[in-house]
Amino acid sequence: MPVVEAPFNLTIPRGQFVAFLGPSGCGKTTLMRMVGGLDTPSGGLILLEGASVGGPDRRRGMVFQSYSSFPWLTVEQNVLFGMKYRKDMLPAEKRERAVHYLKLVGLGAFGKSYPARISGGMRQRVAIARTLAAGSEVLLMDEPFGALDAQLREELQVELRRIQMEDAKTVIFVTHDVEEAVFLADRVIVFSPRPASIRADIDITARLGAARDLELRDSAEFFRIRTEILHMLRHAPAMGG
Amino acid sequence: MADAPLLGRLFVFRGTLPRGVRFGAGAATAAAAVGLWAAAPALGWIAPVFLPSPWAVLRALWTMTTQNGLLGDAGISIARVWGAFLLAAILAVPIGILMSSYRIIGAALEPLIDFIRYLPVPALVPLSIIWFGIGEETKIFLLWLGTFFQLVLLVAEDMKRVPHEYFETAYTLGAKPFQALTSVALRAMAPSLMDNLRITLGWCWTYLIIAEIVAASNGLGFVIWTARRYMATDQVMAGVLVIGLIGLVSDQLLRALHRAMFRYL
Repeated sequence: MPVVEAPFNLTIPRGQFVAFLGPSGCGKTTLMRMVGGLDTPSGGLILLEGASVGGPDRRRGMVFQSYSSFPWLTVEQNVLFGMKYRKDMLPAEKRERAVHYLKLVGLGAFGKSYPARISGGMRQRVAIARTLAAGSEVLLMDEPFGALDAQLREELQVELRRIQMEDAKTVIFVTHDVEEAVFLADRVIVFSPRPASIRADIDITARLGAARDLELRDSAEFFRIRTEILHMLRHAPAMGG
Repeated sequence: MADAPLLGRLFVFRGTLPRGVRFGAGAATAAAAVGLWAAAPALGWIAPVFLPSPWAVLRALWTMTTQNGLLGDAGISIARVWGAFLLAAILAVPIGILMSSYRIIGAALEPLIDFIRYLPVPALVPLSIIWFGIGEETKIFLLWLGTFFQLVLLVAEDMKRVPHEYFETAYTLGAKPFQALTSVALRAMAPSLMDNLRITLGWCWTYLIIAEIVAASNGLGFVIWTARRYMATDQVMAGVLVIGLIGLVSDQLLRALHRAMFRYL
């Protein structure tokens, strides 16, 4: 497990889309997993609305790059699984929510399909719908689009951003793709490896606005931010001294 | 591709094969084997007392079935195999899962199981007879011995291979560890568990014949061993044929069950 050594403080306001960006082994995934309660920090504190994070629970949902949905359940059953352990909802309400979130991610017609029969991009949407239906306040996404082809990635990025704004969800999105981070996030945290630390904290929304569409990718400002970050990553303190 | 020479089309490294050709190749090999078997005694290559013709074996099978109660012996053998197999499975599945779920249990049991796993079952026959006599207990014990310790480790491996992501997904959806085990891990490991059970059932037949040869007064192993004593090679081969057929049928049935249970794969 990579070690984030340098002391730092990071506050993420509710409803913000934050991207953790950096090369592999810089500790960005570990930090996100700590937020999810899946790893325990050796020092320091992870607070959710002032309360210390213990183990994992429903308030922070994970979307992994692979094995993100259960192959033995249909798409709709996968989304229902997100609410399986909620005792405060009636079965009818759960079904209603499942249908709603399946529609939201554009899978309304695929409820009865099994994950093996749908594309990788659709499987990731299933995981997103499941996490939203579960009622998670924070979405933790670990390179969820890493295994998809470029075109599908763009499509899902636009969709994820739309869903996030519609549902006002807090998102922590781990990626090593600079363009993906800049396009998706309100704020990009750039990590540098060895010693792992936070190198920059860039407010993207202040420079690009909150609305994101594909044309934004061709804008001069998008390009400038991208170049800035690439520069930063390239001139990170050299590995091993 | 169509005008490539026939051999070139049939032998494509890691290539595909049409369904009909695949079936044909299997049938042709089987037919050739039977043909060779029929030819050897008929042409005097091998004396019929060592290798009776297929027809002689079928005749023996018929008389054994109609007059000597072969079906009863087959039934007894099947019951022994399934009895020991179920006993092994009922114990091995939970213990294997526990071994992978709790490091301490795995660490405690693995060296012992690994040791017993390498003891050849025939080597334990005398001990088993001393302990249990020559009744059903000995047979069940030997079969159980041969399968349980292998199966435990296979189950533990199946459990270990359940992706960590499945557990973590369940946890972040509010599942407790036991809930993650029952509603996620068991479902995730089910297909490979079924495969391992099917393969282990096959091993049971190997040990059954050993057990029935040394300590039995009925069952297919006993029938084969008795026929040997009278040099009734046709009956020996008929008995072997029945075991092969039972194995083939039960394997195909379990495969069909696997396909029906795991349609989502």
